[in-house]
Amino acid sequence: MRKTFLILAILLLTGLTLLAPVQAQGCSADAPCELNALIGFTDHRLDWALERAAEFGEMFPQYVVNIEPFSDYEPLLDSYILSQEQGNPPEIMQLFEVGTQFAIDSGYFKAASEIIAGRDEVLGQAVDFDDIIPVVSSYYTIGGDWSSVAWNTSTPILYANMNILGEAGIMDLPETWQGVEEACAQLQPMMDSGAINGCIVWPNHGWFFEQWLAQQNTELVNNGNGRDARPDQVLLSSEASLNIVQWHKDMYEAGYYAYPGVQRDWPGTVQAFNAQQIPFIMTSSASAGGIMRNASDNGVEVQTSMMVYDAEVGWTGNILGGATMWITDGLEPEIEEGAMAFLLFFSNTENSASWHQTSGYVPVRNSSVALLEEQGWYAENPNFLTASIQLGESQVTIATQGAIFGTFVETRNIITQAIEDAMLTDRDVAEIMAEAEAEANVLLEEYNLLYVDE
Amino acid sequence: MYLVSPLVLLALVALAGGAWSYWRARAQGVAALRQRPQLWALPGAVSAAAGALILLAPLNFCPFAVDEDGHADRLNVMLGVFILIAGAFLAHRVVMALLGRRLRGEGLPGSAETRQGLYRGPGARLFALLCLAPTLTILAIFLYYPMFDTFQLSTQLARLGAPRTRFVCMRNFNQLLGDPDYGRTVLVSFFLAIFIVLFSLAFSLLIAQMAYRPITGGRIYRALLVWPYALSPVIAGIIFQLLFHNTAGVLNHILDTLFGFEVSWLLDPGIAPWTVVIASTWNILGFCILFYIAGLQNVPDDLLEAAAIDGASAWQRFFSITFPLLSPITFFLVVTTTTYAFFDSYGLIDFLTAGGPVESTTTMMYEVFEVGVEARNLGSAAARSLLLFGVVIGVTILQFRFSRGRVTYGS
Repeated sequence: MRKTFLILAILLLTGLTLLAPVQAQGCSADAPCELNALIGFTDHRLDWALERAAEFGEMFPQYVVNIEPFSDYEPLLDSYILSQEQGNPPEIMQLFEVGTQFAIDSGYFKAASEIIAGRDEVLGQAVDFDDIIPVVSSYYTIGGDWSSVAWNTSTPILYANMNILGEAGIMDLPETWQGVEEACAQLQPMMDSGAINGCIVWPNHGWFFEQWLAQQNTELVNNGNGRDARPDQVLLSSEASLNIVQWHKDMYEAGYYAYPGVQRDWPGTVQAFNAQQIPFIMTSSASAGGIMRNASDNGVEVQTSMMVYDAEVGWTGNILGGATMWITDGLEPEIEEGAMAFLLFFSNTENSASWHQTSGYVPVRNSSVALLEEQGWYAENPNFLTASIQLGESQVTIATQGAIFGTFVETRNIITQAIEDAMLTDRDVAEIMAEAEAEANVLLEEYNLLYVDE
Repeated sequence: MYLVSPLVLLALVALAGGAWSYWRARAQGVAALRQRPQLWALPGAVSAAAGALILLAPLNFCPFAVDEDGHADRLNVMLGVFILIAGAFLAHRVVMALLGRRLRGEGLPGSAETRQGLYRGPGARLFALLCLAPTLTILAIFLYYPMFDTFQLSTQLARLGAPRTRFVCMRNFNQLLGDPDYGRTVLVSFFLAIFIVLFSLAFSLLIAQMAYRPITGGRIYRALLVWPYALSPVIAGIIFQLLFHNTAGVLNHILDTLFGFEVSWLLDPGIAPWTVVIASTWNILGFCILFYIAGLQNVPDDLLEAAAIDGASAWQRFFSITFPLLSPITFFLVVTTTTYAFFDSYGLIDFLTAGGPVESTTTMMYEVFEVGVEARNLGSAAARSLLLFGVVIGVTILQFRFSRGRVTYGS
């Protein structure tokens, strides 16, 4: 009886294994290969990506691009890591800039340069990485190689509600910290009367700290900001660092910076600006699309200018933000080709320009900027040019190239917390930053213990 | 190299376990053993040493190890002693209790009632195991294995996605115990738990006392009262974020219009914890009301009437009759709301304050999420969840101890 059962079970299992769908041999229009891509948008930016995926599917019927959306970059990364651990990773993943070192260390991805292997085109899609704007290429090329394909690039800029500023008699946008303080002093009567709830707002997020550090030409980690060698020290006690945190504290205590009390509050701060409660917001250029649409719906005049800097130190440049697209290592050659062709299509001249118009992200190709100028886009929408000017005029130094290290994401959160502590408590700024530095260094040491071969 | 050799440690534990058993046997053991308590000392010594060994052997007795300079970390040694005693105590307790029952001729606890089953005879045991198998499998996969894994992770340097892990002994615990920020997190957790439990029980009893009587439309009214509990803590967090927001909040708008002042509900580290208490209390209130209404409807009217005839005031009737009769429900609610405050309030905190400002609403549970999920630091998060586990177990044991004799389950 027992034997019969055993034999039956073995037969059943063998049958099931034989019947299981066999891995498709080759991609064809009848049996297209799937290219799964994780992206970190759920709004109109997702719609744009879905449209491009559909277009690619029409051009290359042997492929189907499935876009899987995520609300944020971090859950996206977690999901990707887990799918890798389960042995079933998607082919393409969008990864934010601070994850670059982790992506390289993880061994999950194949470098874009390696896939392209010196070719001019992949499945008819032109490569032409020389066309990529310098600030993007200087961030994402490591040792001269492209590890991923550039897509969404942004930088923080200043947006101003000119209707409110007009009432206070302010005609020109401030360019410096000191200029902001002067404008806020002028807006003080409106704050006192309750007409507005504050002068300026930006999300409390380490990204802004990093930008101000780069403006002051100061590095975030040692070993050439992590580009000469793997860093082992996070530098949060530098003079420039203390200067930035002290300015946060001063602005908050003066009642100018309308801190909502919640860290990383991207939507809340934009909402406060859109609701005309606060006349200035510093936020990503990627918010330009949404902010300008809201402004025109409500009859508000909004102007943008470059991110303000400390006039006493001067401005060297800003760093980019945003994300790039990575291709999983170990794919079948045909699927790998399809994934690369899709990414090249996704970021070609026309698509890069259209992506900029939809979102406000900086066009990553010089040819896209030329195309937009030709179409008269910037003449009609000068606010969309600010980010490109800011990144274009930035000097490329070790500091403005941006740091590369494995615990960037966690360090950002430590910095964000330290800034909040400085603003909301009476503790000494230098003491807070020394503690934050020690905490960040422990994390970096632990990371290096796990990732660096001895 | 060790500060004290593991063999010496085990010998000491065995000695202590044996001596304790010897003393206990002499004092209150089974009559047969009272004459020869030395017989009782052997299993006592073995079980205590085995318990310590089971917990410390997988760690390779690392808490007692010394570094190259011959120094041992004091905190490490203290943690090691704690593990040693805990392992020895638990194993000793279980083994001696079982042996005692055996000697007294009793079976396993509760077996007297279960022996009278339908399934007797050959194969009954197998059949019982078969029936239990689905439950046991689910428990093993989703509870015991993760728990074992958490113990293991807590002694490692581990990150999600990292190519390797490193054994770091007690480092993850050490970092926490020496960190004043973690101490504050523990205090915040207790502060929130105490006030959430107090407020939710007090208000729900008050509301239930008013709402349980048969009044017109009572059912609809009572259903509406339970409503907040139907919302997940996340939704409650979003609702209260809209209400309490410093600049765009409804509440501050009303306060400003009516009284000309605003409160920094989410911005002031001294006020934000109270905001969380208010929101959590609101969220869990419906659940408590539901149980109190059911309880109040079961309080016998004749008892209350008799007391009223004897001249007891409404307060006296409530405190001498109603409240004591509700004690099982109160006790149940204390345990469940404590669990809510420690574990389930996480979603609400994430959407209301995100643990801020200045970490004034960062609870132990919220930190487990921040460290384990956001920072992907699995080792430290495992250590934190074990400490949280220990705290909640401790609180629950205290609640059971404290309630003994105070909770009456009817006649």
